[in-house]
Amino acid sequence: MGLRFVPSAGDDLISIATAGPREAQSLAKQLRNHGEWLEVVAGIASVVVRYDIAVMNRDTAQKQIRESAEERSSGAVSVLPTVEIPVVYGGQAGADLGWVCARLQLTEEEFIALHTASEYEVDMLGFTPGFAYIGPAKERLSVPRLTKPRVRVAAGSVGIAEGRTGLYALPGPGGWPVIGQTSLRLFDAASSEPFVLQPGMKLRFVDVGRS
Amino acid sequence: MTVRVLEAGLLSTIQGNPRTGFRHLGVPASGPADPLSMALANRLVGNAASVPALETTLTGVTLEFAADTAVAIAGAAAPCLLNGDPVGLHTTVPVRCGDVLVVGAAQKGVRNYVAFSGGLQADEFLGSTSTYVPAGLGGFRGRGLQKGDELLLSERRDCALLQTPAGFRFPISHRWALRTCRSCETHELRHPADLFDRKLKISKRSDRMGIALEGGSFTTESLAGMASSPVFPGIVQCPGDGSLFLMSVDAQTSGGYPRVAKLARLDMHPLGQLRPGDSLSLIERSEADAARELHEKHAYWKEWLPDIDRVI
Repeated sequence: MGLRFVPSAGDDLISIATAGPREAQSLAKQLRNHGEWLEVVAGIASVVVRYDIAVMNRDTAQKQIRESAEERSSGAVSVLPTVEIPVVYGGQAGADLGWVCARLQLTEEEFIALHTASEYEVDMLGFTPGFAYIGPAKERLSVPRLTKPRVRVAAGSVGIAEGRTGLYALPGPGGWPVIGQTSLRLFDAASSEPFVLQPGMKLRFVDVGRS
Repeated sequence: MTVRVLEAGLLSTIQGNPRTGFRHLGVPASGPADPLSMALANRLVGNAASVPALETTLTGVTLEFAADTAVAIAGAAAPCLLNGDPVGLHTTVPVRCGDVLVVGAAQKGVRNYVAFSGGLQADEFLGSTSTYVPAGLGGFRGRGLQKGDELLLSERRDCALLQTPAGFRFPISHRWALRTCRSCETHELRHPADLFDRKLKISKRSDRMGIALEGGSFTTESLAGMASSPVFPGIVQCPGDGSLFLMSVDAQTSGGYPRVAKLARLDMHPLGQLRPGDSLSLIERSEADAARELHEKHAYWKEWLPDIDRVI
């Protein structure tokens, strides 16, 4: 298996380019199951490993990553349920919907119809606890991130960037234009299963009216 | 065995070990923003480096003790008082029931660490007691301390009266030069060499998540269309508005802005002391040199802090 190592990620980071989110998730899982890494984190098209440079040099780490990637995996595939995400689109709940629609030359109704039309999949978790990156990326709904990230975005905010939808589980800073808000609680530290969504899970957005 | 918070300051949190190994779920590291100072304070009261201690921000904290114990303070330059009498940083301070400790406003640096013999009791989430305020995790009910909070102390340990030896008092400055490596998207900067050896300024937009850096006009060739990618404390992002953003201990786990540099592991610990208005130069290091210098730094500090390789 040929791994595409990025030439330089940082003194204690190794980045491996992947074809897409599924490959990234599967490689990351494989590495977490085999090997002593501080962190193994999948992106949309990469996996980054943080390793302990006090005990391992780069060549050894890369060699172990190659070996880990070739270990036999169990092959078990878990079937995940489809989750419905109720969304209030636009208005105060989605302050950037107007801006997004103007850029895409769509009415708000057209945008909502397109956004709720198809089935999606959780590409990755990241950003803050429970934040979900939802794919596949939709060319027709592609807008850039905000050039100046917001200092605070409300919990439950639904953002869109580069055609992907992002669900903010927690309030905090954010760079994605916000199109709506969900009442679904995506992260609950007190629960035995704190993370509601996980990579690979299928989901749909359901329009539950305007704010 | 409690300590009452009389004045909570701007943001005072309990921090312990970083929450390592859960970034793939979106859970940041947290832990002390200046782990070296926390380790130094813990050392003076007989604790291991990451035993839960109090981290203060800029304005300090005032505590009243309902138990006999010993404490120590390390970090930012700040006047401290025990029952109105000055006490120094970097020294074991025996306290008695009823005593009042004031950690004053930081004059240089940002954060102080108050360590208690035996440590503070704290909530645990995913194997760590560190507070992560945005998600309400760890520490004291997942939040910053408030006036009137009663902190619980763990059983005190026997500890000698110590002072941090002169060679191990990490200097807190207004001018910082931190060793830095290139990262995944450095090559996309219009002028990568501009990153290094120039004076950047720490902006007011500065907290435990990260620090905006001013003093340049940094743009990248291909800003649009970057796939969300893993990020870590120490990563420097280039968001495209000309500034740079240096990620700190509570930083998010992924981001879509180009990652143009990463502070070398050995120079990450001062992140918590970079103060708005301070100057910062990023000094370029190869990955091999950064690793070698980390080994040297560990060898030096081991003499005073035996578990230094788990601190920095």
